Order: sequence, then structure tokens, then C-alpha cells
Amino acid sequence: MSATAQRLILRNVIDGLTTGPDGGQASIDPAGAPVELLIDRDAPPRQLAGSGIDPTDLPSIDGGGGLALPGFTDLYARLREPGPSRRGTLATECRAALAAGFTRVCAAPDTEPAIDSTATVELVLRHAAAAQAARVLPIAALTVGLRGEALAELATLQRAGCIAAGHADVALGDTRLLHDAMAYAASFDIPLILRAQDARLGTQGCAHAGPVATRLGLRAIPIAAETIALARLIELMHETGARVHVSRLSSARAVAQLAEARAAGLPITADVGIAHLYFTEHDLDGFDARFASAVPFRAASDRQALRRGVAHGTIDAICSDHAPLDADALLAPFPQVEPGLATLDAFLPMLLGLPAVAEVPLERAVQAVTTTPARVLGIGVPNDDVVLVAPDRAMDPDRRFSAGANGAVADPALTGAVTGVLIGGEWISLDNDCAPR
Amino acid sequence: MSLPHPQLDRDGRLQHFLDMDGLSRETLTEILDTAETLAPVGERRVRTVPLLRGRTVANLFFENSTRTRTAFELAAKRLSADVLNIDLVSSSTAKGESLLDTLRVLEALQADMFVVRHPQSGAARFIARHAAPSVAVINGGDGQHAHPTQGLLDVFTIRRHKPDFTQLVVVLIGDIVHSRVARSDLAALSILGAAEIRVVGPRTLVPADVTALGGRFMPNLDEALVGADVIMGLRLQRERMQGAAVPSSGEFFRHYGLTRERLSLAKPDAIVMHPGPTNRGVEIAGDVADGPQSVILEQVTAGLAVRMAVMSMVLGNRAASNAA
Repeated sequence: MSATAQRLILRNVIDGLTTGPDGGQASIDPAGAPVELLIDRDAPPRQLAGSGIDPTDLPSIDGGGGLALPGFTDLYARLREPGPSRRGTLATECRAALAAGFTRVCAAPDTEPAIDSTATVELVLRHAAAAQAARVLPIAALTVGLRGEALAELATLQRAGCIAAGHADVALGDTRLLHDAMAYAASFDIPLILRAQDARLGTQGCAHAGPVATRLGLRAIPIAAETIALARLIELMHETGARVHVSRLSSARAVAQLAEARAAGLPITADVGIAHLYFTEHDLDGFDARFASAVPFRAASDRQALRRGVAHGTIDAICSDHAPLDADALLAPFPQVEPGLATLDAFLPMLLGLPAVAEVPLERAVQAVTTTPARVLGIGVPNDDVVLVAPDRAMDPDRRFSAGANGAVADPALTGAVTGVLIGGEWISLDNDCAPR
Repeated sequence: MSLPHPQLDRDGRLQHFLDMDGLSRETLTEILDTAETLAPVGERRVRTVPLLRGRTVANLFFENSTRTRTAFELAAKRLSADVLNIDLVSSSTAKGESLLDTLRVLEALQADMFVVRHPQSGAARFIARHAAPSVAVINGGDGQHAHPTQGLLDVFTIRRHKPDFTQLVVVLIGDIVHSRVARSDLAALSILGAAEIRVVGPRTLVPADVTALGGRFMPNLDEALVGADVIMGLRLQRERMQGAAVPSSGEFFRHYGLTRERLSLAKPDAIVMHPGPTNRGVEIAGDVADGPQSVILEQVTAGLAVRMAVMSMVLGNRAASNAA
């Protein structure tokens, strides 16, 4: 069945969907009793019991006892199209996103060519729609070709369908240009998704400035490369009134800086890549190219601060930072490897592992991929975007959707799989065991 | 979660020689002892032994080096191996052929051993992981990571003068950050139990966490030299003298140059070492480099015996594993 229903019943599911009294996530009990949920395009999900709704004529889906969660929103993933298809296409990566629970994905602008023209935005949206998987929300390139020289037509790109603007992993050296870009984006209320990355310090580096890089003789990326750039963003926010979301933090000092700016009343938001809640500099020891990352994996104390930041809400959201690569991209000495981890196929087990591994409560972890990223973008979570999860299902290494040969190496003890997704009221099964009736 | 090290087999025997990671004091001592037995070969009238007769050693140099390549070539020839010198700086890899494609071609020429010099840290380990199982890889220097035969020849030279490492105070001077030699020296000295390794240089050239390498940072050379048994200068690349790392060679020499006057602060029988090529008047005064305490040329000669030892042991271990 692939019907799009205005209202439907989701039977036999654990409720991770109905919002609590504070508007946040109600407590989720994966071991709770299954219920029936009413999904209505025009109203938030609620439990059927006590709603006074007669379900007789409504279509229904058997959730197989799975956990129902709101559709996820990814604030940063590289979907690689347009660009060389060996690294992935919108068809493969949107499917991977959906299988990770994302019904919406902000697409990084560093495609080839970059997302800096209406034509490219249209191509991305058209191919994404054809994929019939996660919806794509393109991030516009802040400057033409991400060259850091001239502003892209941001207002036009916004009208064409871009949700935000950003500069991918390309550091902007020209503070004057950044100032103007932020002021210009503020004129059209375009949110900016920007990395805190100094243009000179550490740009030659490929690993955190710590004992591992010192031993391996790798050029290092100091923490100051992040904090200097974050301070610059904070100051320019004061000047320009731009809405800035800091993409993919890496260090404890940056988390502290963020908390301070927020305490001072600045409406700054931030996220962290899921892999950075798991890995540290020690994982790349021995020149393990699987842990080459544009945002470096830093010390265990930095990872701890990132975990706490998520748990306490200082870090608003968790993104995938998905970066699929072909196998050949990894076949080079470490400094020459293309950085990036394809995280989507392991994303859900890693997310569900956060309570045990990182002391992030499950409700908070879910919030960090649902309501908070939506709020960052200034959009809501659609009432009829629902993810159905089998939380205890063992990871299947053969269940791969991304074209990336560089899948993140997740602890095999982690569990969880998306069995199906309701997207805009349309049910897409990702699991034959859990087909709709 | 890290990858297994390719240089040791399950029994801890060397299959490649890539860096000092995971090597025991016993293994290093065995290499040094073997080098001692091979050292006299160079003093004979017929300077060859048949240990690698019929074997082919390919020198793959992705970075210019006359000294190291020559030393490896001569060491291989003294073991009676056939030697191919392949200059890859101006060759196909420069034209865009991938490193692995280049390796496949050279494997097809049926070499038994690759001696690799490459400008990227980690290249030797990468090549060892991806080379055909029949090929042994010796690291002739990879980026800023390791130059393990240099590390070995340094401790070989030290041992000849100061046999008990546990009593040694060693001073390394200059560019540690960019030096694969320093990393391999620090690792080898730590494994052999050196009492103290002092590291001296401006903060631009010494990693903030040099303790991760087993060294202790000392800002002042004069203080570091007091009680020193071994003093090692390190080469300061010309490009570092022009940027922000060091304002000028003159200022470097004034603060970190090894002069006769400074040398007198060390123990009277201290030895002076340098991996070469030396910049006289930058890292070291000419009269110290040529003076009675200098063992710089002994280091060069030791390089032959040490490389003969490593090559013969690695190929010997492989022959033994194949026979078993």
C-alpha cells in the first residue's frame, strides 16, 4: 500500500510521538505497552484512546510493536549530487537518510557545481523528489562557487527552495565579506548554517592537535581554529542580527563559548555530528583512514563536553555530517585521504546508543533530531511524518543504503533499525516483517 | 578500534620495518646485535655477504634523497641483492597515476622488498597494508612521521659509545615538530630505556605535547646540556628559517646552536650527533661538527650495518614463516 491518507491509525506501536505538556518530548519508554495512535495531517499525533474518534473507516498501519518517533530532520549531509555519482546520488543518499529516520535532509552546498544557482537548486529538488525518499532542503552556497569572493544570489536561491545558506567546509577568510553576507542574509531572514573554522589556522591539518597527531607526525588542527572563528561569528551576529546556526562543533572550549553567548541572550544555535559523540583522536591512531574527518575528532574530554552539551541542550541538534566516498578515495596515505564518514547507515543505532554510551536521555536524543533542528530552520515537524523503529534489532552489516564505501564503524553491540517511515502521510516500508495491512 | 599494525606477525616477528610502534627492547637489541655482526663486512676486502642473493630490492623514492637512497642501495648490494632504484619524484605518480597503480606495476617486476621514501606521514604503513603479501616494506622516511632506520643507526652509534641506555641523558635540539628523525629517535631511546630525553627548541619547533613522544621540554639549551651524555642536533629546513617558525638562522644559532663553549657544559665524554646534512653555523658550529666528540660520520657508516641487519632480518623472518 502506498496511499497518502489525511488521517490514519498507527496500531500496535510504542508511543514516542505525542508531545509532553512542556511542548518538549514526553518521556519515551521503549519497553512500554503498545497503543494506537491517530495520525492527522492537520493536528499533532495523539493516542486514539480517549480521543473520541471513531477509527472504523480510517486506514491503519500495524506498527508491529515498534517505537513510533517524529520524522527526523538532518541539518547537514552531503548528498553528492550534482557531482561524481560514484560517491552517491540523491537516489541512494535520500534512501539512506530515510532508512536512518530522516524525513528531511539539509543538503550541503559543496556539490559539483556548488548549490549557487537556481538551476542547480531545481535539479536537486527534482532528483530528490524522484527518489521518493527523504525530502531534500538544499543549503545555498553563501558565495559563488564557495570561492569566498562574491555573494551568491541568496534571496533568489531562497525563493527557489533553499532553506538556509552556508559555506560547507570551506573556511571564509575575509571577515568583511562574512560580515556583509550575514547582514544580507538577515535582510531576508535566511538562516545561516556555518562551521566555525579559521581560514589559516589548521587548514593544512588533518587531525586534532593532540598526542596522536604529534606521534604520527600529522599536521594538526588546533582548537583555537574553531574558537577564534566562533568568536568571530558571535561578534558578527551582534553586528548584523543574522540568524546563525553553528554547524558541527568539535571542542569543549567551543561548547563553553556557545553556552556563554547564549547566556548573554544571543539567539545562536549549534549542532554536533553523531560520530563526534562516539569517536576521538585515538580512533585514527595507526593512520586509520576511516576516521579522517573534516571536523577533527578531538580529545576524550572534548567528546565528553559535546555529549554533555547535547544532554543539557547547549548543543541543540545532532546532525549526520554524512560524507559518502567511493572506495578509491580512501586509498592514499592519511593526509591525502578525502575526509569524511558515511554515517547514515549507522545513524539510528548510534542515536539510540546515546543514553547508554553518552548519558544523553533518549527523549533529548530524539528531540535533537526532530523538534530542535526544525526550530533552527524555522519550520515545524509535519504531523504526518512518523518513523517506526525496532530499537532492539541487531545491526545488519549488509543492510546498507548509502553508496559510501566509508561507512562509520559503529560498535556492533549497538542496536536499532528503521522498519518503516510515514512521510507526508505516505507509508514507506523498509522492512518486510512490518508491512502495512 | 584501531587497525592492527602490519609490521609484526602473530609471533611478534618483523614482517616489514615501518616505525618503532610495538617493538620491544628485545627486538631492537636483536637488530642492533645483528648489525654488529654485519658491520665488519664493510671492513673486509670483499665487502659482500650472500644473505640476499637472488633477491630484488626496489628503492621507491617519492621524495628526493641522495644520502638515504645511497645507503640503502649499498646495504642491499653488500647483502648481494639486486637493486632497482626507481625515481618516482619525476615519474608516473607525478603524472597522476595513483600510488597503488604504481605499486602494482612494481610488484609485477617481482621485487621482494620495497624501500619507500614518501613525503606523506603514514605512507609507509599504507603501502605495507596494500602491497602484495610477498613484498616486504622498509620505511626510508615518511613525511614527518618516522625514519626508523635512522633511529636505529642513531641508537647503534650511541650504544657503541655508551652501552647502558638506562644511565643516559640525551639532548635533542631544534626542529622536533617537522622531524621524522626526532620521532624515531625519541621512540627508539624510550624503548631502550634512556634515563632522560631532553628536548630543546623554540615552541614553534617543539610540539606542545612532546611528552607524548617521551621527551621533556626544556626552554634553555645551556641548562639542558648540563650532565648530558648524548647531544643530537636536528636539521633545520631552510624554509623554516624564513617563515614564522624561526626569524633567522642567525637568531637560531645564537640560542640553539651547538658551540664549543656550550658543549663544555655537557659531560666531558659526551658525544655529538647529527643526522645530516648539517647546516654549519645554524644547528652546529663547524669546529664541533669536526671536533673530537663528534660521531657524525660514524653515524653514516653505522647506517649501512643497521640497514643490512633490518633487510636481512625481515626477509629472513618471511622465509622462515613461508617454510613453516
